[in-house]
Amino acid sequence: MAQATLAERQAKQVSQYAARKRWQRTGGLILGWVGFIGIWYLISEFVVGPYLLPSPLAVGTHMWEIIQDGQFIRHFWSSILKVFAGFGIGLLIGTPVGYFMGRSKYWKAFFHDPVMVAGSAPGITYAVMALVIFGISVDGPILAVALVSMPYIAINVAEGIEGADQKLIDMSRAFRRSERDILRHVLIPSIMPFAVAGVRLSFAYAWKVEQLTEVFGSSSGVGFKIRQEFEDFSYTGVLAWVLLFIIFMLLLERFVLVRLERRLFRWRGQEEGEKT
Amino acid sequence: MSSLNASQPALGEVQPGIFSTLQRALTSGWGARISAYILFLLIWQALTWTIPRVPGPVPVFVFIWTEMTGGPHGGVLRGQFWGHFLITLQRFSFGLVIAIVTGTILGILIGSLPFARALLNDTLLVFLALPAIIWAFLTVMWFGIGDKAPIYTTFLTAAPFVAVNVAQGVRAITPDLHRMSAAFGVPLTKRIRYLILPAVMGYLFAGIRFAVITGWNGVLLAEFFGSAEGVGWRTRFWYDANRYRGFVGWIIVFIIFIILLDRLVFTRIQRRVFRWRDAQGESEIAEFAAASTQ
Repeated sequence: MAQATLAERQAKQVSQYAARKRWQRTGGLILGWVGFIGIWYLISEFVVGPYLLPSPLAVGTHMWEIIQDGQFIRHFWSSILKVFAGFGIGLLIGTPVGYFMGRSKYWKAFFHDPVMVAGSAPGITYAVMALVIFGISVDGPILAVALVSMPYIAINVAEGIEGADQKLIDMSRAFRRSERDILRHVLIPSIMPFAVAGVRLSFAYAWKVEQLTEVFGSSSGVGFKIRQEFEDFSYTGVLAWVLLFIIFMLLLERFVLVRLERRLFRWRGQEEGEKT
Repeated sequence: MSSLNASQPALGEVQPGIFSTLQRALTSGWGARISAYILFLLIWQALTWTIPRVPGPVPVFVFIWTEMTGGPHGGVLRGQFWGHFLITLQRFSFGLVIAIVTGTILGILIGSLPFARALLNDTLLVFLALPAIIWAFLTVMWFGIGDKAPIYTTFLTAAPFVAVNVAQGVRAITPDLHRMSAAFGVPLTKRIRYLILPAVMGYLFAGIRFAVITGWNGVLLAEFFGSAEGVGWRTRFWYDANRYRGFVGWIIVFIIFIILLDRLVFTRIQRRVFRWRDAQGESEIAEFAAASTQ
């Protein structure tokens, strides 16, 4: 009896502690955002003037206009489609590349430099490459996203293959499973989470490069709109599109990617789950 | 493991002639790396043949040579390289130094004070998610054409990476050490010098490395859209002149520069600074993955 109450009391303390922590976090978060907008307002009003830095209200109104007249949906949808198409191609090429890198010394040496160079080349490289190869078109951003995400996917898949349980493979061989069976039931399941992790790691970077490519050569998408506003010298326009982009990215990150990752990594159990 | 390794000795047994030597050379690590470069050049050349707009590797490398040696590009244009490079490097390093200092201070604050963390964490996330092009546009609009836009763009794109990494490093310090130094009344300056800084060094390094890569992109973009000198402007110049070999040539120079900086400078310094540690990060893959997590 006494033990039960002790346990109950402990549980209560823990939940209280968690609630307090949560409050502190949300409080700080709200304060952070309020502070951010407040500082922005003060700078716009008293330091540089509303021409150089439009007030949050002006930008907010403009954002609302963009959402209302359907431009938001149109251009974001266009960008999203390009990002996903690019990621699809990146997965399609990066997974086999990573597979070979993980399985043989030769291919590891072969792909080492291309992957390293592709991973650290500045974003402007991809934008220029897309512009030179495709001119102003939809395919440019797709190529850029594919090129950017591929090294991350390949590296992660290679890591997954190297980390795949060798005993499991040996056992499958001992029981005379065909190489195809091993690939299908041992290797692919152990690669998939790594491939997704690669996508996740390169996600923010791929978006950045996609925007950049749209800035350089595109006739639709968020990057294209930002370029247009820049050329019109409209501070409000640039900031409105940028903020919409930020909000969109944060929501996507918080709600879609984190959930997807949790789903795909569920089988790994508690230890890995805690890290995310 | 690999089929290649298995087939090698079998061939060697049959005939230790020139073919087996050749095969051994081709299947060695260096052979693989060189074949990768050759394949890349071949793909590039094939692209040039299918799409006439794409300049081939030979004209591009000839362009780079002419630009570097200051020779004539045909007509009245002459190569200009080192002057522009120096200007860009000045802007780049200036922005980077401010970014490292600010980022380290912010990172220590965010890592050690929960309040600062709650306050600044989302702002930091937003800054991390912002493409460099946006800073380039905004700073060009704010400061006009000149030194300020590239410097600020470098600073604004690079600083968040330093801050995030340093914050991570500070938070990785065992709380026991903090408690112990508090119990023994160690002053804050000493605590920063002997506890926080050594622990954060590795994280700071990873942050700086990533800051260099993103900052380099930032300075190039800002110069491309709002400068009258520097390598970014020079790229723009060739683009506006509709000479794609110049456009692509400069891009190749940018890639080579950042790879050399990363391989020759960073890897060396890292090895020197962390000599005292146990051998870490031997696997390049793990290293790359660690760098990309940031």
